[in-house]
Amino acid sequence: MKFITPTAEELSYLRSDPLVWEQELDVRPEVAEAIERATGIRAGRVYWRSRHDHLYALELADLGRGRPSMAMVYGHWDRYEPRPPEHEIDADLLDFSLWVAEVADGLDPADVAQVAQFAGVQTTWPEGSVLRTPDDRFTDLPGFPYQPRYVEVEGLRMACVEQGEGDPILMLHGEPTWGYLYRHMIPLLAEVGRVVVPDLIGFGRSDKPVADNAYTYKSHVRWLRGFIEALDLRRVTLVCHDWGGLLGLRALAQMPERFIRLVAMNTGFPDGRDLGEPFMRWRRFSQQQRSLDVPAIMRMAARRALSDAEAAAYGAPFPSSEYETAALVFPRLVPVRPDHPGAYDNRVAIETLKTLDLPVLLPWSDNDPITGPWESQLRAIFRNVAPSLVIAGAGHFLQEDAGEQIAVHIRNWLGATAER
Amino acid sequence: MNPTLRAKPDWLTSLFPWEQRALTVNGRTMAYVDEGGPEGRPVLLLHGNPTWGFLYRDFIRPLTEAGYRAIAPDWVGAGYSDHPRVDAALTLPHHIADLASLIDQLRLHGFVIVGQDWGGPQGVGAALQRLERLAALVLMNTWLFTGYVGRFHASPLPWTTWHAPLIGQFFMKRQKVLSYGGPSVTTRRGMTEEEARAYHHIFDEPDSDHVVLTWPRTIPLREGDRGWADMQAIERRLPELAGVPTVLLWAPEDNVFPIEYAHRLKELLPHAEGPTTFDNAAHFLQDDRGPDLARAIVEFLNRTVGPAP
Repeated sequence: MKFITPTAEELSYLRSDPLVWEQELDVRPEVAEAIERATGIRAGRVYWRSRHDHLYALELADLGRGRPSMAMVYGHWDRYEPRPPEHEIDADLLDFSLWVAEVADGLDPADVAQVAQFAGVQTTWPEGSVLRTPDDRFTDLPGFPYQPRYVEVEGLRMACVEQGEGDPILMLHGEPTWGYLYRHMIPLLAEVGRVVVPDLIGFGRSDKPVADNAYTYKSHVRWLRGFIEALDLRRVTLVCHDWGGLLGLRALAQMPERFIRLVAMNTGFPDGRDLGEPFMRWRRFSQQQRSLDVPAIMRMAARRALSDAEAAAYGAPFPSSEYETAALVFPRLVPVRPDHPGAYDNRVAIETLKTLDLPVLLPWSDNDPITGPWESQLRAIFRNVAPSLVIAGAGHFLQEDAGEQIAVHIRNWLGATAER
Repeated sequence: MNPTLRAKPDWLTSLFPWEQRALTVNGRTMAYVDEGGPEGRPVLLLHGNPTWGFLYRDFIRPLTEAGYRAIAPDWVGAGYSDHPRVDAALTLPHHIADLASLIDQLRLHGFVIVGQDWGGPQGVGAALQRLERLAALVLMNTWLFTGYVGRFHASPLPWTTWHAPLIGQFFMKRQKVLSYGGPSVTTRRGMTEEEARAYHHIFDEPDSDHVVLTWPRTIPLREGDRGWADMQAIERRLPELAGVPTVLLWAPEDNVFPIEYAHRLKELLPHAEGPTTFDNAAHFLQDDRGPDLARAIVEFLNRTVGPAP
């Protein structure tokens, strides 16, 4: 376990939830003493991040017995938000128990693992907590003949379309769409690289946890990172849109060595700044819905007329509102205040992004009231940005309105930036 | 003034129809069943970890029908008694003081101790404080000494790992491996879902199961362990029980207190009858072989001290 020192600012956005209260830490003195050696403290706090990126603290108290004799383990969750799924906490506390057994004399991590096994500790999604859209919803979709490849991430099945060969071109969709959004671009880009189009968890052909609290900015980032690592994507050109940008830019900041170019379209990287009234209006509207009529939303937003079958394809992942949790939650997860979950992490990520000199292309539509004004933020972050590329007449879903045109622009730009 | 208890759920009534009474002992509420009336000899039916008076449901009717007064308390921390959130309140000396207080407040004279698991040391510990009023002793799969430690209690798989510092909090409290996994897991005769629920529901409230962790941690394995001195204080006084009719009833298939524990008890209490063994029973023999054990106890008591106190 690697102990870290979180900033006071990060802690100010989190609440600490006492999970374990050990009043008898020195019931076995040798264990208490080993913990003192391993943490370097007899009283006070140490922090670590779990494999779920949750921040935990171990607090030790010295009751004058010459060793730590009481302990508390806290989980730090986003303020005002429910805590993450219990199986994530169970998995993290089991990791912590394994650490205790590793550092303490007379305890063996293998015993802890075995006890956990026959205690049936639930460290993955419990039965019935994850939905999977039936395959037959995805047959004969216009312009989308692609069979999915599935990648396992944290016990969830994440779907992606893979076409072509060469350096990967990772294309990330956003709210409330799925890989289908990129269908006009896939064939053109597959001629110059290996196109990888995942469906975010909760969307498209990927698995869909039912519970609201499964979905946070942090969990989506984790799943995306897990996906990139599972496919071991390197020399990636990241193409992203809407939430695909909010997530992709975080992944870029966390693993910059895997990326060589960035194409961001009608997205943003909210760091607590005012996102403008059009977005807030959409957020209010979306948060008042119990279900989303995704085909109607897409019809309304697209500047090109969608056929019935195309509109229906956008609704295919959602046979009923039970499947729509991710889509219903997404607008709420967009950081809209400086203390909103994710805003601080984005401010930290921006400091890293500012140091990158990978080539950046920002195709931006001129008919999108929501993310239209957000291009300048990204332009200011990156050092090596191509001149403005306005996609005239396109709306928010510019891949739908002008997919081929954008794909051609990207192809040309890929060629122009190939010598890196 | 008697404290009030939380209400027993309706589904439990058919399995456990007796009225739960309550007393304040050492500032905390102790729940108990008291059946048979004051003219019968009091028989204290003492459970251990992680059970409660429900474990003795097959004993109450046979005892009262034979003229005895059956009293089944729930230890503080368990059953319908208070569940204090402080481990220090749940040690052997506290449990002993709680039972002594119950014996005093109910003015029990000529009482019998029936103890299994922690009911043994806690019951005998209290009886040694009220020796003048003790009539007889029934010990089932328990221990009263430090000198012998069986494989189960010394083994890291699962026992010493289950209750280790910090790790034990995860398994015992967050995962409730014992509070939801006692008799319902070891049962030999099979158990209905309602019976399992009767054992589990008392720990439904999060963090209500401190006692489930304090108990294993106070089983002394080595000199200096928490509970070592307390257990030795009991062991040293066992010769004082020489005049008290005593019987050992044992489930030899129990892997927690195998028959070696009975043999050691027999060395310390040479006047004791038995061990009389009961097969097809695991650690919670009262649940596996309740009616047979109740019959054996009534037979033993009728023969030695009789139902009149």
